[in-house]
Amino acid sequence: MNHDNDMPLSGYHGKDLHCTQVSHIYCKRPLLAWRRDWSLFISNPVGLLGLGLIVIFALMGLTHSILLSTVWDRTTYHPMVGFDYDNTPHPNQPSWKHPLGTDSMGRDVLSQLLYSSRTSFGVGLTASIVATILATAVGVLSVYYGGKVDTLFMVVADAFVLMPPQVVLLVVGLLIDMDWLRLGLVYGVFAGLGTLALIAKSHALSIRVKPYIQAARVAGGGDWHIIRTHFLPNMLSLIIMNMMFTVTGSVLIEALLSFFGRTRIRMSWGTMIWFTQSIFRLSPFGEQWHVILPPAFAIMLFCGAFYMVGRALDSVVNPRLAQR
Amino acid sequence: MYKYITRRLVRALITLIVFQTILFMLIQALPRDYASLVRISPAHRDAIRAMLGLDQPVWKQYLKWIGRFLGGDLGFSFAYRTVPVSRILTTRAPRTLLLFLPAALGGFALGLWLGKHIAWRRGSWLELGATLVGTASYTSFAPWLAFMMINVFALSLGWAPPENVVNPNVWIRQRVLPETVIIRLFQTMVMVGLLLLLLWLVTRTAVAHCTYARLAGGGLIIGVVILLWLRSGWIRLALDILHHMVLPLMTLMLLSFGETMLLMRTTMVDVLGSDHVLTARAKGIPDGAIRDRHVARLALLPVLTHFIVHLPFVIIGSFVVEMVFSWRGMGQALFDAADMYDLPVLMGILSVSGVVILFAHLVLDVLNAWLDPRVRDEHFQAMAG
Repeated sequence: MNHDNDMPLSGYHGKDLHCTQVSHIYCKRPLLAWRRDWSLFISNPVGLLGLGLIVIFALMGLTHSILLSTVWDRTTYHPMVGFDYDNTPHPNQPSWKHPLGTDSMGRDVLSQLLYSSRTSFGVGLTASIVATILATAVGVLSVYYGGKVDTLFMVVADAFVLMPPQVVLLVVGLLIDMDWLRLGLVYGVFAGLGTLALIAKSHALSIRVKPYIQAARVAGGGDWHIIRTHFLPNMLSLIIMNMMFTVTGSVLIEALLSFFGRTRIRMSWGTMIWFTQSIFRLSPFGEQWHVILPPAFAIMLFCGAFYMVGRALDSVVNPRLAQR
Repeated sequence: MYKYITRRLVRALITLIVFQTILFMLIQALPRDYASLVRISPAHRDAIRAMLGLDQPVWKQYLKWIGRFLGGDLGFSFAYRTVPVSRILTTRAPRTLLLFLPAALGGFALGLWLGKHIAWRRGSWLELGATLVGTASYTSFAPWLAFMMINVFALSLGWAPPENVVNPNVWIRQRVLPETVIIRLFQTMVMVGLLLLLLWLVTRTAVAHCTYARLAGGGLIIGVVILLWLRSGWIRLALDILHHMVLPLMTLMLLSFGETMLLMRTTMVDVLGSDHVLTARAKGIPDGAIRDRHVARLALLPVLTHFIVHLPFVIIGSFVVEMVFSWRGMGQALFDAADMYDLPVLMGILSVSGVVILFAHLVLDVLNAWLDPRVRDEHFQAMAG
């Protein structure tokens, strides 16, 4: 803070305020906005449900490594190479030893299910973090600097809008078998430079005209200072909301590619369904329900959880919705 | 207005060129080209490269690529030599369109209708339930949903066939190809849709008792169409195709209605708080009229925008559903091309989908500018931005 111009400003609500106090108020504001957003968010049952589900899935991933290193015997319960020699022939129906039974290759379904939540978190978080960083950078920079930077970014963004990440991944992913990291990176780049950049830009535009930006500039705040303390905190809710939708989209497309057997991911929910359906396509459903239903519901609940958190954040970001 | 459209068109052209540049860079970034796919001697490989034009310098390939694309030429397929990509796509397109168009529009209409009524009857339980159902519809795994439909409606109940486009037993000794009937069906569908739209527009302004006029007109149009089909002698074949279409269509609609429903609800709630709704209530306008004319109409445009922006998602869904139901359309072409590393076909699919998206955005922008003068006014934009 610059203490040189620490002179009284008189006549403001009849009180004397100091410049340090003014900047103090303006610096506090984003924090207050964040706290208000949070209290709005937790008042929405849908968002809380989604958040709870996300926590459960995170616990599932943790539980798997704990179980595998303590209770579960590695040769039997390993998600990829395990095999139960005692209860042949496979697949087995659910029992005490295998709560969700085994698949046709003799592997424990519950173990696979728990393990796969890690893959989904990996893909989803990679995609959303990359997309968010790119979109925010493009949006804020093009609004803040304007002119040629703006034109360049917007031409690129317009072109990337024509290539939605789902479509690109379906085409490129069929050609190249990708691991989860690359899948997430490709999704993040194509989502972040396209639609998300446009959304971030329009939001940054609405922030630029706010009086506190001008106040900060008058008070001598540098570019990076203004971006860091004013743009980013005010865009936080919107950024997190779009992160949630990115997670949903990327996990769905990962499941699709795994389902068609076109990834290098060794175990995920899509892969589980693929293994089963490639053998049991058009067979009576009853024998295989314990292999097909859990991963399908896991995909649905995982994507749904992030989607619901996103929808709940939507009512936070859009204040006219939140009033009622 | 014309100035706005011109400006928008120029921007669209620049966007297209940048789009193709990115696609070209994507191809260059791929680790293998077509010639390195098979195990052959280096001499053969070079010969194939020379034949496909892959040995030329990158900038030459790039200029050729852009020039060809702007001329509307998508090149020749690598796998089926001498067959143009555009022909592969156009032969596959009718089947996909026959499935995709009614599914997308039906899902959209269903979502609008449900969202409208849920927003109107606001109660926490109904709202929560609707949100859960909508989320489930949006996030359910497409192939899995298709399996469920096959298992329940085809294998257990036997109401509809589980896969394929036609039943060979019906088509044996027929002197007509399925493709012909499919194209005719698609044409009929589009014509009926346009006629019904026209009827709706005419009755809205010109006729006093528009409900009866609409019912009568709609009945007349559908009756005439059914009569024409009966006279053509292909009615059994058409019914066979439609019978095979039931399950994929239902699956696609189930996948696509949720998002529209949730968005319609949110937008309706947003509009409900504005002053003109209160005014309409004070004037004593009946509830249904307020809902349809004062709230739903305002909410329609944002929902339509979102629907068009998210159209690629529905296209992906339709490709996947096609694969699971063995409905051999564009989805099958995509997977075949990927198996044979047929780059021109894959890039053709990407290009066409890009152009379709661009066109949709263009129409949407012009529509927005037409309805909302603030959009097309540069002065106002400068003030707002």
